[in-house]
Amino acid sequence: MIEARGLTKRYGELVAVDGVSFSVAPGEVVGFLGPNGAGKTTTMRILTGFLPATDGTAAIAGHDIFEDPLAARRSVGYLPESPPLYPEMSVEGYLDFVAKIKDVPRGARASAVDRALERCGLREARRRIIGSLSKGFRQRVGLAQAIVHDPPVLILDEPTVGLDPIQIREIRALIAGLADQGQGERARTVILSTHILPEVEAICRRVLIIHRGRIVVDRPLEELKRGGASLEESFTRAIAREPGADEPVAAAGAP
Amino acid sequence: MRHVFAIAGRELRSLFASPVAYVVLTLFSVLAGFFFLTGVLQFQEYVIRMQTFQLSEQLAELNLNDHVIAPFLHVMSVVLLFLIPGLTMGLFASEKANGTQELLLTSPIKIWELVIGKFLAAAVFVALLVALLALYPALLFWYGNPELGKTLTGLGALFLVGLAYAAIGAFASSVTRSQLIAFLLAFVLLLLLWMLGFLADLGAAGGGTGGDTVSDVLRYLSTAEHFESIVMGLVDTKDLAYFAAMVAAFLILTKAAVESVRWR
Repeated sequence: MIEARGLTKRYGELVAVDGVSFSVAPGEVVGFLGPNGAGKTTTMRILTGFLPATDGTAAIAGHDIFEDPLAARRSVGYLPESPPLYPEMSVEGYLDFVAKIKDVPRGARASAVDRALERCGLREARRRIIGSLSKGFRQRVGLAQAIVHDPPVLILDEPTVGLDPIQIREIRALIAGLADQGQGERARTVILSTHILPEVEAICRRVLIIHRGRIVVDRPLEELKRGGASLEESFTRAIAREPGADEPVAAAGAP
Repeated sequence: MRHVFAIAGRELRSLFASPVAYVVLTLFSVLAGFFFLTGVLQFQEYVIRMQTFQLSEQLAELNLNDHVIAPFLHVMSVVLLFLIPGLTMGLFASEKANGTQELLLTSPIKIWELVIGKFLAAAVFVALLVALLALYPALLFWYGNPELGKTLTGLGALFLVGLAYAAIGAFASSVTRSQLIAFLLAFVLLLLLWMLGFLADLGAAGGGTGGDTVSDVLRYLSTAEHFESIVMGLVDTKDLAYFAAMVAAFLILTKAAVESVRWR
Protein backbone atom coordinates (compact mmCIF):
# COMPACT_ATOMS: atom_id res chain seq x y z
CA MET A 1 0.00 0.00 0.00
CA ILE A 2 2.94 2.30 0.72
CA GLU A 3 6.23 1.78 -1.09
CA ALA A 4 9.08 4.12 -0.22
CA ARG A 5 12.22 3.68 -2.25
CA GLY A 6 15.38 5.50 -1.23
CA LEU A 7 13.68 8.67 -0.03
CA THR A 8 16.27 11.34 0.61
CA LYS A 9 15.81 14.93 1.65
CA ARG A 10 18.71 17.35 1.86
CA TYR A 11 18.57 20.93 3.03
CA GLY A 12 21.90 22.19 1.74
CA GLU A 13 24.47 20.38 3.83
CA LEU A 14 21.96 18.91 6.21
CA VAL A 15 20.58 15.49 5.34
CA ALA A 16 17.17 15.21 7.02
CA VAL A 17 16.17 11.90 5.47
CA ASP A 18 18.78 9.58 4.06
CA GLY A 19 17.75 6.78 1.71
CA VAL A 20 14.65 5.64 3.54
CA SER A 21 13.02 2.56 2.03
CA PHE A 22 10.18 0.51 3.43
CA SER A 23 6.93 -0.97 2.35
CA VAL A 24 3.68 -1.27 4.22
CA ALA A 25 1.05 -3.85 3.29
CA PRO A 26 -2.70 -3.09 3.22
CA GLY A 27 -4.21 -3.18 6.67
CA GLU A 28 -0.92 -2.83 8.49
CA VAL A 29 -0.60 -0.41 11.38
CA VAL A 30 2.95 0.81 11.61
CA GLY A 31 4.52 2.84 14.38
CA PHE A 32 7.11 5.30 13.13
CA LEU A 33 9.47 5.88 16.02
CA GLY A 34 12.49 8.02 16.55
CA PRO A 35 13.94 10.80 18.66
CA ASN A 36 12.98 14.38 17.89
CA GLY A 37 14.65 15.58 14.72
CA ALA A 38 15.21 12.07 13.39
CA GLY A 39 13.31 12.75 10.17
CA LYS A 40 9.85 11.39 10.99
CA THR A 41 7.93 14.51 10.05
CA THR A 42 10.01 15.11 6.93
CA THR A 43 9.39 11.54 5.72
CA MET A 44 5.67 11.93 6.32
CA ARG A 45 5.60 15.26 4.54
CA ILE A 46 7.24 13.67 1.54
CA LEU A 47 4.77 10.78 1.51
CA THR A 48 1.81 13.16 1.66
CA GLY A 49 3.18 15.32 -1.15
CA PHE A 50 3.76 18.43 0.97
CA LEU A 51 7.51 18.35 0.33
CA PRO A 52 9.38 16.92 -2.63
CA ALA A 53 12.19 14.46 -2.02
CA THR A 54 15.70 15.35 -3.15
CA ASP A 55 16.06 11.77 -4.30
CA GLY A 56 14.03 8.57 -4.36
CA THR A 57 10.29 8.22 -4.67
CA ALA A 58 7.31 6.53 -3.15
CA ALA A 59 4.03 5.03 -4.30
CA ILE A 60 0.80 5.25 -2.37
CA ALA A 61 -1.94 2.80 -3.29
CA GLY A 62 -0.05 2.24 -6.54
CA HIS A 63 0.24 5.95 -7.44
CA ASP A 64 3.68 7.45 -7.66
CA ILE A 65 3.80 10.59 -5.50
CA PHE A 66 5.74 12.57 -8.11
CA GLU A 67 4.32 11.23 -11.35
CA ASP A 68 0.69 11.06 -10.31
CA PRO A 69 0.57 13.40 -7.31
CA LEU A 70 -3.16 14.14 -7.36
CA ALA A 71 -4.19 10.47 -7.31
CA ALA A 72 -1.61 9.74 -4.61
CA ARG A 73 -2.88 12.63 -2.47
CA ARG A 74 -6.47 11.49 -2.95
CA SER A 75 -5.52 8.14 -1.35
CA VAL A 76 -4.04 9.69 1.78
CA GLY A 77 -5.59 11.08 4.91
CA TYR A 78 -3.05 13.16 6.75
CA LEU A 79 -3.04 14.60 10.23
CA PRO A 80 -0.04 16.92 10.61
CA GLU A 81 1.57 17.53 13.98
CA SER A 82 -0.63 20.55 14.60
CA PRO A 83 -4.12 19.84 13.26
CA PRO A 84 -4.82 22.07 10.23
CA LEU A 85 -7.98 23.77 11.48
CA TYR A 86 -9.73 27.05 10.71
CA PRO A 87 -10.69 28.34 14.17
CA GLU A 88 -13.57 30.51 12.89
CA MET A 89 -15.38 27.66 11.12
CA SER A 90 -17.92 25.24 12.53
CA VAL A 91 -16.89 21.59 12.76
CA GLU A 92 -19.45 20.62 10.14
CA GLY A 93 -18.60 23.47 7.76
CA TYR A 94 -14.93 22.64 8.03
CA LEU A 95 -15.41 18.95 7.24
CA ASP A 96 -17.64 19.84 4.31
CA PHE A 97 -14.89 22.08 2.95
CA VAL A 98 -12.28 19.34 3.37
CA ALA A 99 -14.59 16.86 1.61
CA LYS A 100 -14.86 19.29 -1.31
CA ILE A 101 -11.14 19.78 -1.77
CA LYS A 102 -10.54 16.04 -1.33
CA ASP A 103 -12.82 15.32 -4.28
CA VAL A 104 -15.68 13.61 -2.45
CA PRO A 105 -18.51 13.63 -5.04
CA ARG A 106 -21.23 16.19 -4.32
CA GLY A 107 -23.93 13.60 -3.69
CA ALA A 108 -21.83 11.66 -1.20
CA ARG A 109 -20.54 14.67 0.71
CA ALA A 110 -23.22 14.96 3.39
CA SER A 111 -22.98 11.29 4.28
CA ALA A 112 -19.17 11.38 4.23
CA VAL A 113 -19.22 14.25 6.72
CA ASP A 114 -21.78 12.45 8.87
CA ARG A 115 -19.71 9.29 8.92
CA ALA A 116 -16.54 11.16 9.90
CA LEU A 117 -18.40 13.01 12.67
CA GLU A 118 -19.86 9.76 13.93
CA ARG A 119 -16.59 7.85 13.91
CA CYS A 120 -14.70 10.56 15.74
CA GLY A 121 -17.40 11.11 18.35
CA LEU A 122 -18.17 14.62 17.16
CA ARG A 123 -21.89 14.33 16.52
CA GLU A 124 -22.80 16.54 19.47
CA ALA A 125 -20.15 19.09 18.53
CA ARG A 126 -21.02 19.41 14.84
CA ARG A 127 -22.28 22.98 15.10
CA ARG A 128 -19.61 24.18 17.50
CA ILE A 129 -17.01 26.69 16.33
CA ILE A 130 -13.63 24.99 16.14
CA GLY A 131 -11.87 27.81 18.01
CA SER A 132 -14.05 27.16 21.06
CA LEU A 133 -13.23 23.44 21.29
CA SER A 134 -10.87 21.83 23.79
CA LYS A 135 -7.55 20.48 22.59
CA GLY A 136 -8.81 16.91 22.68
CA PHE A 137 -11.81 17.78 20.55
CA ARG A 138 -9.67 19.69 18.09
CA GLN A 139 -7.53 16.61 17.70
CA ARG A 140 -10.71 14.65 16.95
CA VAL A 141 -11.64 17.18 14.29
CA GLY A 142 -8.13 16.74 12.90
CA LEU A 143 -8.72 12.98 12.68
CA ALA A 144 -12.17 13.45 11.17
CA GLN A 145 -10.59 15.67 8.52
CA ALA A 146 -8.09 12.90 7.71
CA ILE A 147 -10.79 10.24 7.18
CA VAL A 148 -13.59 12.27 5.60
CA HIS A 149 -12.77 11.06 2.08
CA ASP A 150 -12.37 7.47 3.31
CA PRO A 151 -8.73 7.10 2.21
CA PRO A 152 -7.02 3.71 2.12
CA VAL A 153 -3.94 5.20 3.81
CA LEU A 154 -3.79 7.26 7.00
CA ILE A 155 -0.67 9.16 7.97
CA LEU A 156 -0.75 10.57 11.47
CA ASP A 157 2.06 12.76 12.82
CA GLU A 158 2.20 12.58 16.63
CA PRO A 159 -1.55 12.40 17.05
CA THR A 160 -1.53 12.46 20.86
CA VAL A 161 1.06 15.12 21.55
CA GLY A 162 -0.04 17.72 24.10
CA LEU A 163 -3.16 15.87 25.26
CA ASP A 164 -4.01 14.85 28.81
CA PRO A 165 -3.98 11.14 29.75
CA ILE A 166 -7.72 10.70 29.30
CA GLN A 167 -7.71 12.38 25.91
CA ILE A 168 -4.70 10.30 24.90
CA ARG A 169 -6.61 7.13 25.74
CA GLU A 170 -9.61 8.28 23.74
CA ILE A 171 -7.59 9.25 20.68
CA ARG A 172 -5.67 5.96 20.78
CA ALA A 173 -8.89 3.98 20.93
CA LEU A 174 -10.17 6.04 18.03
CA ILE A 175 -7.09 5.34 15.91
CA ALA A 176 -7.21 1.63 16.74
CA GLY A 177 -10.86 1.66 15.65
CA LEU A 178 -10.06 3.42 12.38
CA ALA A 179 -7.33 0.91 11.64
CA ASP A 180 -9.63 -2.04 12.23
CA GLN A 181 -12.10 -0.96 9.58
CA GLY A 182 -12.36 -3.04 6.45
CA GLN A 183 -10.96 -6.42 5.56
CA GLY A 184 -8.22 -7.65 3.20
CA GLU A 185 -7.51 -5.22 0.37
CA ARG A 186 -10.05 -2.74 1.71
CA ALA A 187 -8.36 -2.63 5.09
CA ARG A 188 -6.96 0.72 6.08
CA THR A 189 -3.21 1.19 6.29
CA VAL A 190 -1.98 3.45 9.07
CA ILE A 191 1.40 5.03 9.69
CA LEU A 192 1.65 6.80 12.98
CA SER A 193 4.65 8.72 14.23
CA THR A 194 5.38 9.18 17.87
CA HIS A 195 8.13 9.18 20.41
CA ILE A 196 5.89 7.78 23.09
CA LEU A 197 6.71 4.09 23.29
CA PRO A 198 3.59 2.81 25.08
CA GLU A 199 1.58 4.33 22.26
CA VAL A 200 3.24 2.03 19.77
CA GLU A 201 2.57 -0.95 22.00
CA ALA A 202 -1.05 0.03 22.32
CA ILE A 203 -1.83 0.48 18.65
CA CYS A 204 0.83 -0.81 16.27
CA ARG A 205 1.81 -4.25 15.12
CA ARG A 206 5.01 -3.23 13.40
CA VAL A 207 7.72 -0.76 14.29
CA LEU A 208 9.98 1.36 12.12
CA ILE A 209 12.68 3.19 14.04
CA ILE A 210 14.29 6.11 12.30
CA HIS A 211 17.44 7.75 13.58
CA ARG A 212 19.43 10.56 11.95
CA GLY A 213 17.40 10.16 8.80
CA ARG A 214 17.89 6.42 8.40
CA ILE A 215 15.76 3.43 9.18
CA VAL A 216 17.58 1.48 11.87
CA VAL A 217 14.87 -1.00 12.83
CA ASP A 218 12.01 -2.46 10.80
CA ARG A 219 10.30 -5.41 12.45
CA PRO A 220 7.09 -6.65 14.02
CA LEU A 221 6.46 -5.45 17.56
CA GLU A 222 6.35 -8.99 18.96
CA GLU A 223 9.79 -9.76 17.61
CA LEU A 224 11.20 -6.64 19.22
CA LYS A 225 9.78 -7.62 22.57
CA ARG A 226 10.84 -11.23 22.36
CA GLY A 227 13.16 -12.42 25.09
CA GLY A 228 11.64 -10.11 27.65
CA ALA A 229 13.31 -6.98 26.29
CA SER A 230 11.06 -3.98 26.64
CA LEU A 231 10.42 -1.80 23.66
CA GLU A 232 12.27 0.94 25.45
CA GLU A 233 15.43 -1.16 25.68
CA SER A 234 15.27 -2.06 22.00
CA PHE A 235 14.68 1.55 21.11
CA THR A 236 17.57 2.88 23.17
CA ARG A 237 19.87 0.21 21.82
CA ALA A 238 18.85 0.90 18.23
CA ILE A 239 19.51 4.61 18.39
CA ALA A 240 22.62 4.29 20.50
CA ARG A 241 24.65 2.76 17.71
CA GLU A 242 25.82 4.70 14.71
CA PRO A 243 23.41 4.06 11.87
CA GLY A 244 25.00 1.98 9.17
CA ALA A 245 27.83 0.80 11.46
CA ASP A 246 26.61 -2.75 11.08
CA GLU A 247 23.47 -4.61 10.09
CA PRO A 248 20.97 -2.63 12.14
CA VAL A 249 18.00 -4.95 11.86
CA ALA A 250 19.86 -7.91 13.25
CA ALA A 251 21.45 -5.82 15.97
CA ALA A 252 18.18 -4.55 17.34
CA GLY A 253 16.80 -8.00 18.02
CA ALA A 254 19.99 -9.46 19.50
CA PRO A 255 19.94 -10.24 23.21
CA MET B 1 -13.21 24.83 -11.18
CA ARG B 2 -15.04 23.12 -8.30
CA HIS B 3 -11.95 23.51 -6.17
CA VAL B 4 -11.72 27.21 -7.05
CA PHE B 5 -15.25 27.79 -5.78
CA ALA B 6 -14.64 25.68 -2.68
CA ILE B 7 -11.57 27.77 -1.79
CA ALA B 8 -13.29 31.08 -2.58
CA GLY B 9 -16.42 30.11 -0.65
CA ARG B 10 -14.47 29.12 2.43
CA GLU B 11 -12.42 32.29 2.31
CA LEU B 12 -15.51 34.50 2.09
CA ARG B 13 -17.28 32.61 4.84
CA SER B 14 -14.25 33.02 7.11
CA LEU B 15 -14.02 36.69 6.25
CA PHE B 16 -17.63 37.21 7.31
CA ALA B 17 -17.33 34.95 10.34
CA SER B 18 -14.51 37.12 11.68
CA PRO B 19 -14.76 40.85 12.37
CA VAL B 20 -12.43 41.72 9.46
CA ALA B 21 -15.12 42.02 6.80
CA TYR B 22 -17.40 44.14 8.97
CA VAL B 23 -14.60 46.41 10.14
CA VAL B 24 -13.40 47.01 6.58
CA LEU B 25 -16.95 47.62 5.30
CA THR B 26 -17.83 49.96 8.17
CA LEU B 27 -14.66 52.02 7.98
CA PHE B 28 -15.02 52.21 4.22
CA SER B 29 -18.61 53.48 4.42
CA VAL B 30 -17.72 56.01 7.11
CA LEU B 31 -14.85 57.40 5.07
CA ALA B 32 -16.90 57.33 1.89
CA GLY B 33 -19.73 59.22 3.60
CA PHE B 34 -17.31 61.82 4.92
CA PHE B 35 -15.62 62.45 1.60
CA PHE B 36 -18.88 62.44 -0.30
CA LEU B 37 -20.39 64.97 2.05
CA THR B 38 -17.40 67.31 1.83
CA GLY B 39 -17.49 66.95 -1.97
CA VAL B 40 -21.14 67.87 -2.18
CA LEU B 41 -20.79 70.80 0.22
CA GLN B 42 -17.86 72.14 -1.72
CA PHE B 43 -19.80 71.85 -4.97
CA GLN B 44 -22.67 73.75 -3.40
CA GLU B 45 -20.35 76.48 -2.29
CA TYR B 46 -18.91 76.82 -5.81
CA VAL B 47 -22.35 77.10 -7.24
CA ILE B 48 -23.37 79.78 -4.75
CA ARG B 49 -20.17 81.73 -5.24
CA MET B 50 -20.46 81.69 -9.00
CA GLN B 51 -24.07 82.74 -8.83
CA THR B 52 -23.15 85.63 -6.53
CA PHE B 53 -20.45 86.83 -8.90
CA GLN B 54 -22.58 86.16 -11.97
CA LEU B 55 -19.94 83.93 -13.55
CA SER B 56 -22.40 82.24 -15.85
CA GLU B 57 -19.76 80.70 -18.13
CA GLN B 58 -17.97 78.88 -15.32
CA LEU B 59 -21.31 77.98 -13.83
CA ALA B 60 -22.29 76.28 -17.06
CA GLU B 61 -19.11 74.21 -16.95
CA LEU B 62 -19.76 72.90 -13.47
CA ASN B 63 -21.23 69.43 -13.46
CA LEU B 64 -21.75 66.68 -10.94
CA ASN B 65 -19.65 64.11 -12.79
CA ASP B 66 -16.45 66.10 -13.04
CA HIS B 67 -16.75 68.07 -9.84
CA VAL B 68 -18.32 65.67 -7.37
CA ILE B 69 -18.18 62.07 -8.57
CA ALA B 70 -14.70 62.02 -10.14
CA PRO B 71 -12.92 63.62 -7.16
CA PHE B 72 -14.89 61.34 -4.84
CA LEU B 73 -13.76 58.21 -6.73
CA HIS B 74 -10.25 59.55 -6.76
CA VAL B 75 -10.18 59.91 -3.00
CA MET B 76 -11.72 56.48 -2.54
CA SER B 77 -9.05 54.91 -4.73
CA VAL B 78 -6.53 56.32 -2.25
CA VAL B 79 -8.55 54.90 0.65
CA LEU B 80 -8.33 51.49 -1.06
CA LEU B 81 -4.54 51.73 -0.81
CA PHE B 82 -4.98 51.25 2.93
CA LEU B 83 -8.00 48.99 3.03
CA ILE B 84 -7.17 46.35 0.45
CA PRO B 85 -3.92 45.30 2.15
CA GLY B 86 -5.96 44.84 5.34
CA LEU B 87 -8.35 42.65 3.45
CA THR B 88 -5.76 40.52 1.67
CA MET B 89 -3.07 40.26 4.34
CA GLY B 90 -4.49 37.01 5.68
CA LEU B 91 -5.13 35.25 2.36
CA PHE B 92 -2.01 33.09 2.44
CA ALA B 93 -0.14 34.24 5.54
CA SER B 94 -2.87 32.97 7.88
CA GLU B 95 -2.84 29.55 6.20
CA LYS B 96 0.85 29.30 6.98
CA ALA B 97 0.47 30.50 10.55
CA ASN B 98 -2.52 28.18 11.14
CA GLY B 99 -0.86 25.12 9.66
CA THR B 100 -3.77 24.79 7.24
CA GLN B 101 -1.35 25.24 4.38
CA GLU B 102 -0.38 21.64 5.01
CA LEU B 103 -3.99 20.56 4.47
CA LEU B 104 -4.30 22.53 1.23
CA LEU B 105 -1.02 21.40 -0.27
CA THR B 106 -1.61 17.74 0.56
CA SER B 107 -5.09 17.83 -0.99
CA PRO B 108 -5.64 16.88 -4.62
CA ILE B 109 -5.93 20.50 -5.73
CA LYS B 110 -3.61 22.40 -8.04
CA ILE B 111 -1.81 25.48 -6.83
CA TRP B 112 -3.35 27.71 -9.49
CA GLU B 113 -6.79 26.60 -8.24
CA LEU B 114 -5.80 27.74 -4.77
CA VAL B 115 -4.49 31.09 -6.02
CA ILE B 116 -7.48 31.81 -8.26
CA GLY B 117 -9.88 30.76 -5.50
CA LYS B 118 -8.29 33.17 -3.04
CA PHE B 119 -8.24 35.96 -5.59
CA LEU B 120 -11.85 35.31 -6.51
CA ALA B 121 -12.87 35.72 -2.87
CA ALA B 122 -11.00 39.03 -2.69
CA ALA B 123 -12.59 40.12 -5.99
CA VAL B 124 -16.09 39.43 -4.65
CA PHE B 125 -15.29 41.53 -1.62
CA VAL B 126 -13.96 44.38 -3.76
CA ALA B 127 -17.17 44.22 -5.82
CA LEU B 128 -19.10 44.55 -2.57
CA LEU B 129 -17.07 47.60 -1.59
CA VAL B 130 -17.72 49.24 -4.95
CA ALA B 131 -21.42 48.41 -4.77
CA LEU B 132 -21.58 50.01 -1.34
CA LEU B 133 -19.79 53.04 -2.69
CA ALA B 134 -22.20 53.31 -5.62
CA LEU B 135 -24.94 54.27 -3.16
CA TYR B 136 -23.44 57.75 -2.72
CA PRO B 137 -23.38 58.81 -6.39
CA ALA B 138 -26.80 57.15 -6.68
CA LEU B 139 -28.12 59.85 -4.32
CA LEU B 140 -27.09 62.48 -6.83
CA PHE B 141 -29.42 60.96 -9.41
CA TRP B 142 -32.25 61.68 -7.03
CA TYR B 143 -31.46 65.39 -6.76
CA GLY B 144 -29.60 66.13 -9.96
CA ASN B 145 -28.83 64.72 -13.35
CA PRO B 146 -25.30 63.36 -13.65
CA GLU B 147 -24.43 61.22 -16.66
CA LEU B 148 -25.14 57.57 -15.97
CA GLY B 149 -22.54 56.21 -18.38
CA LYS B 150 -19.72 58.26 -16.99
CA THR B 151 -20.68 57.39 -13.43
CA LEU B 152 -20.72 53.66 -14.14
CA THR B 153 -17.41 53.87 -15.99
CA GLY B 154 -15.89 55.59 -12.97
CA LEU B 155 -17.15 52.89 -10.61
CA GLY B 156 -15.83 50.28 -13.04
CA ALA B 157 -12.42 51.96 -12.93
CA LEU B 158 -12.46 51.79 -9.15
CA PHE B 159 -13.32 48.08 -9.34
CA LEU B 160 -10.38 47.47 -11.69
CA VAL B 161 -8.04 49.34 -9.37
CA GLY B 162 -9.37 47.25 -6.49
CA LEU B 163 -8.66 44.03 -8.42
CA ALA B 164 -5.10 45.08 -9.19
CA TYR B 165 -4.58 45.99 -5.53
CA ALA B 166 -6.04 42.66 -4.43
CA ALA B 167 -3.64 40.73 -6.68
CA ILE B 168 -0.71 42.67 -5.23
CA GLY B 169 -2.04 42.10 -1.71
CA ALA B 170 -2.37 38.38 -2.40
CA PHE B 171 1.22 38.28 -3.53
CA ALA B 172 2.42 40.11 -0.41
CA SER B 173 0.50 37.63 1.72
CA SER B 174 2.04 34.66 -0.05
CA VAL B 175 5.64 35.54 0.75
CA THR B 176 5.34 35.70 4.53
CA ARG B 177 3.62 34.00 7.43
CA SER B 178 3.11 37.27 9.29
CA GLN B 179 -0.04 39.20 8.48
CA LEU B 180 1.56 42.43 9.66
CA ILE B 181 4.44 42.04 7.22
CA ALA B 182 1.97 41.14 4.47
CA PHE B 183 0.02 44.31 5.20
CA LEU B 184 3.05 46.59 5.21
CA LEU B 185 4.57 45.02 2.12
CA ALA B 186 1.32 45.34 0.18
CA PHE B 187 0.79 48.91 1.34
CA VAL B 188 4.29 50.03 0.36
CA LEU B 189 4.08 48.29 -3.03
CA LEU B 190 0.73 49.93 -3.74
CA LEU B 191 1.89 53.35 -2.61
CA LEU B 192 5.01 53.18 -4.78
CA LEU B 193 2.99 52.03 -7.75
CA TRP B 194 0.53 54.83 -7.18
CA MET B 195 3.24 57.47 -6.98
CA LEU B 196 5.28 56.41 -9.99
CA GLY B 197 3.35 59.05 -11.91
CA PHE B 198 4.68 61.83 -9.66
CA LEU B 199 8.19 60.54 -10.19
CA ALA B 200 7.60 60.63 -13.92
CA ASP B 201 6.40 64.23 -13.71
CA LEU B 202 9.45 65.27 -11.74
CA GLY B 203 11.70 63.51 -14.23
CA ALA B 204 10.00 65.27 -17.12
CA ALA B 205 10.32 68.62 -15.34
CA GLY B 206 14.05 67.99 -14.93
CA GLY B 207 14.07 67.75 -18.69
CA GLY B 208 17.21 65.70 -19.35
CA THR B 209 17.52 63.98 -22.71
CA GLY B 210 16.39 60.39 -22.66
CA GLY B 211 14.50 61.11 -19.44
CA ASP B 212 11.34 61.19 -21.47
CA THR B 213 11.37 57.48 -22.25
CA VAL B 214 11.95 56.65 -18.62
CA SER B 215 9.17 59.00 -17.59
CA ASP B 216 6.83 57.41 -20.11
CA VAL B 217 7.56 53.94 -18.80
CA LEU B 218 7.09 55.05 -15.20
CA ARG B 219 3.90 56.83 -16.07
CA TYR B 220 2.62 53.74 -17.86
CA LEU B 221 3.35 51.58 -14.80
CA SER B 222 1.56 53.91 -12.41
CA THR B 223 -1.92 52.77 -11.37
CA ALA B 224 -3.07 56.36 -10.83
CA GLU B 225 -2.42 57.27 -14.45
CA HIS B 226 -4.70 54.55 -15.87
CA PHE B 227 -7.32 55.04 -13.22
CA GLU B 228 -7.59 58.76 -13.93
CA SER B 229 -8.03 58.31 -17.63
CA ILE B 230 -10.90 55.83 -17.20
CA VAL B 231 -12.56 58.02 -14.57
CA MET B 232 -12.46 60.91 -17.04
CA GLY B 233 -14.62 58.71 -19.22
CA LEU B 234 -11.94 57.58 -21.66
CA VAL B 235 -12.15 53.81 -21.81
CA ASP B 236 -9.06 52.81 -23.73
CA THR B 237 -7.97 49.20 -24.28
CA LYS B 238 -4.49 50.34 -23.25
CA ASP B 239 -5.77 51.02 -19.74
CA LEU B 240 -7.83 47.84 -19.56
CA ALA B 241 -4.81 45.85 -20.71
CA TYR B 242 -2.77 47.47 -17.96
CA PHE B 243 -5.11 46.23 -15.23
CA ALA B 244 -5.38 42.75 -16.76
CA ALA B 245 -1.59 42.53 -16.96
CA MET B 246 -1.16 43.69 -13.35
CA VAL B 247 -3.58 41.08 -12.06
CA ALA B 248 -2.06 38.31 -14.18
CA ALA B 249 1.53 39.20 -13.29
CA PHE B 250 0.93 39.29 -9.56
CA LEU B 251 -1.14 36.11 -9.55
CA ILE B 252 1.67 34.32 -11.37
CA LEU B 253 4.14 35.62 -8.78
CA THR B 254 1.76 34.47 -6.04
CA LYS B 255 1.58 30.99 -7.51
CA ALA B 256 5.37 30.83 -7.63
CA ALA B 257 5.61 31.99 -4.01
CA VAL B 258 3.10 29.38 -2.82
CA GLU B 259 4.87 26.70 -4.81
CA SER B 260 8.25 27.69 -3.39
CA VAL B 261 7.49 25.64 -0.26
CA ARG B 262 8.18 22.69 -2.49
CA TRP B 263 11.52 23.98 -3.76
CA ARG B 264 13.21 24.23 -0.42
